[in-house]
Amino acid sequence: MIFRKRNRADEETRYSFGRDTWKQFRRNRPAYISFYVLLFMLFIGMFASFLANDQPLYASYRGKTFYPAFAEHWIGKSVFGAEGVDSVQHPVTGNWERIQYDIADWRALELGAVIWPLIPFSSSTQDILNRDFVSPDDEHFRRNEKGEVITATGKFRHRMGTDVLGRDVLAGIIHGTKISLLVGIVSMSIALLIGLLLGSLAGFFGDHRIRLSRIRLFLLVPGLLLAWFYAFVLRGYTISDAFGESTGSGFVQLLLSILLFVLILMMIIYGGKFLEFGFFAKQVFLPVDSLISRGIEIFNSMPKLLLIITISAVIEERSIWLLMLIIGLSSWTEIARFVRAEMLKVRELEYVQAARSMGLSEWRIIVKHALPNAMAPVFIYVAFGIASAILVESGLSFLNIGVPDDVVTWGSMLNVGRTEPEAWWMIVYPGLAIFITVTVYNLIGEGLRDALDPRLRK
Amino acid sequence: MMGYILKRLLLFIPTLFVISLLAFIISVKAPGDPVEILSGSASVQGGSTQHGVSKSQKDSIRLRLGLDKPLFYFSMTSSIECDTLYKIQDKKHREVVQRLTYRCGDWQLVSNWYRELKDSYEWWSALEEADFKAEKDSIALEVQNAIDWKNTGNAIFLTMLNSYEPKVIYAQLDSLQLLAGKVPGNLLKTRLDNLDRFWDEMYYSSPGFSFWIPSFHWYGSDNQYHRWLSRLLIHGDFGYSYVDKEPISEKIWKKFFISFKLIFLSVLIAYLLSIPLGVHAASKRGKLSERISSLFVFMLYSLPNFFVGMILLYLFANPDFVVWFPESGYMDPNNYDPNWNFLQRWSAELPYMILPLITYTYSSFAFISRILRAGMLDTLQQDYVRTARAKGIQEHNVLWKHALRNSLLPLITMFVNIFPMAIGGSVIIETIFTYPGMGLASYEAIHNYDYPGIVAIFTLSGFLTMSGYLVADILYAFADPRITYNRK
Repeated sequence: MIFRKRNRADEETRYSFGRDTWKQFRRNRPAYISFYVLLFMLFIGMFASFLANDQPLYASYRGKTFYPAFAEHWIGKSVFGAEGVDSVQHPVTGNWERIQYDIADWRALELGAVIWPLIPFSSSTQDILNRDFVSPDDEHFRRNEKGEVITATGKFRHRMGTDVLGRDVLAGIIHGTKISLLVGIVSMSIALLIGLLLGSLAGFFGDHRIRLSRIRLFLLVPGLLLAWFYAFVLRGYTISDAFGESTGSGFVQLLLSILLFVLILMMIIYGGKFLEFGFFAKQVFLPVDSLISRGIEIFNSMPKLLLIITISAVIEERSIWLLMLIIGLSSWTEIARFVRAEMLKVRELEYVQAARSMGLSEWRIIVKHALPNAMAPVFIYVAFGIASAILVESGLSFLNIGVPDDVVTWGSMLNVGRTEPEAWWMIVYPGLAIFITVTVYNLIGEGLRDALDPRLRK
Repeated sequence: MMGYILKRLLLFIPTLFVISLLAFIISVKAPGDPVEILSGSASVQGGSTQHGVSKSQKDSIRLRLGLDKPLFYFSMTSSIECDTLYKIQDKKHREVVQRLTYRCGDWQLVSNWYRELKDSYEWWSALEEADFKAEKDSIALEVQNAIDWKNTGNAIFLTMLNSYEPKVIYAQLDSLQLLAGKVPGNLLKTRLDNLDRFWDEMYYSSPGFSFWIPSFHWYGSDNQYHRWLSRLLIHGDFGYSYVDKEPISEKIWKKFFISFKLIFLSVLIAYLLSIPLGVHAASKRGKLSERISSLFVFMLYSLPNFFVGMILLYLFANPDFVVWFPESGYMDPNNYDPNWNFLQRWSAELPYMILPLITYTYSSFAFISRILRAGMLDTLQQDYVRTARAKGIQEHNVLWKHALRNSLLPLITMFVNIFPMAIGGSVIIETIFTYPGMGLASYEAIHNYDYPGIVAIFTLSGFLTMSGYLVADILYAFADPRITYNRK
């Protein structure tokens, strides 16, 4: 056997921080259950387009097999080779029929065999027969293969009702799960990245660790201006054109610009080496900690929600990805503050001193030795941060700000429900979905906090 | 203490600077041309450029808004760029000229092209039917033809003024050629030749090395930002609303007090409710009543406020259910009397305030009581509490006198977090209940593309948040004598 079978006794004696935390975490029942609820939601979010789709998973039509639901997904392109368009020949007349997957009405085709998804509706499909807020208990209609309108039964009922345009609420909830999870994870990853970087810079280096020659300090001012000029003034139209093209290419250009900015700044500061003489050569401290702490204070005094609302209102091209970026950019301060405090403690510990005396570089000490020690508690903030990011996103889409009109989210469903006081299902289901998701993240955060708190250890 | 306050006030300045700068950048980058919108010739959504308003009128608006000035104290541009670009009046034209300059690398060539194009456009739109007639003597001219020509020409010139893509320009030049063939005489020919020449000169030149050389311009204090900020700080002037074209500051203060009343009341109620609950939770730790109340508070904490607001509306202001409270608004205008005294006015407003107040309060209530519970649990384990108990002091007194005082400290800092939260959250809650405060104003401003309004609200709430922080810090120092800010 290649894999050595683990000895149970061996396992119990072995101790690791992660395993111990997990043990503590499991003791907290609500948090433990929430963890599995979250896994379940991740499953729903990942397979949203296979769980709720108005195109069948598998269909055979005139002797040909189709996998329409997979066509838009990367699986469809790589595994089934689906391109979203296909042609079939009529067996009797010999006429060619062109089928475009997302436009074709699969329900009206005379399919030989068919496997429908669990919910045979998409979040954005407008069901003309069941529009204007059809309650889950009302009679639902559908068109059969012959084109007659019949009462829908079983799978083809809208189990959570429909909205004003006849869009299925359950499909919207499933699609909204994907969006909410994405918003939480992406925006908090951005916040984590910035928070870790700035927090560890401030905490580890403090005010009296980074020494610069005077000339380099002075060069910072023109350096910043020049870097700004090359990265953002000259490339300004490139970036805005790319965003006009697609959000993805916009982000790529923006990242390129940020990279260029850092590069130019570093080049100019290193260039200061050749000017070090006399007065300019004197070494001074760069007060990183003070600068970043003041920056955090300034940033914290801004009304976050209003800032997010204002920025997303001004941006002409509405995009869910931009919204994630904005939320991420506005919620890094908590993490940065925490990491800073943690690093202030860690940098005085003996093992860091030992690492330094062994001649490791400062960056290596931070990334390999100091940060991992501060990381675990950071995840508490990440869990709470995801919860509040989801709340912010659903609040914004409830106000119809920043989220594109064709993207169905929990918040936008609530917004539609606001117009019709009768439609309780438009309020209760999306509201509960938001509530459950936020609770799950909060409970996990709470459980992590308890698990990592040495005073509460059992 | 005074030293600390002074230091905090000093930090006010960069914070205010950053907030105002952010607000200013947003207002500048916002889509739409303020002059076009304020003069009523275009809306923000559609970029219609029908010249319904005279040029002089627009110029006066531009002067009033100070748009003829440079944006900021300084600018960093490529050295090929003209440093008086801001003098071009139309926002879109400014962009076109800048893009063309970046492409061809010579400001003079672009200037030739732009001037010629603009002159041609003005000349063409000033032409009258008689002008077409005078050139043509032999054949009787149909009036309709002249109007058609004029419209086509106007459209062509406008498209060219607003585009920088060579493809578009070439297509427009071709159609201008066609038009010139139709129009009698040499009316268009000379203009067209000039345009062709200038475009070719521009198109076939490319930016050299000088494109990469930055040039720095210092404009001094005579710029838009300085003007905007000084007006804001000295007169409290936020500019003009795009919607009703009236000054914003007058309305916003009234709306601010309406919101503030609600926020202040809710924070007060939240504190009053959560302190007993927090103390109770800490003293009865682990008992059933505590576990239920903790779970309840936790659920409240995770409930989104717009969901709660809509449920409340559905339950208590629904004609099919019960109508205990009015659905929307702030007071009934029908029976409002300006001579009412304080109490009468309050009793008239109260029913409108209850549902928003509940929605405002519950989340901060949950937040505060959770923090207080954690703080109390921490304090109860400390030695001095044990000492107090050992001395035989009643449990009630230990809780309320000894332990609570020290657990109250974090609550002061909480005030700092709750206040801005309430300001931001007011957008959602006031929208649900149509409560005419700052939140609803910002919601309406956003949906009407009223950017000066949005910026004004943002700046004002930034200022309020900052003040809240300052007050809380000072209170904190007063409440806890161990804290001194003077020594580092």
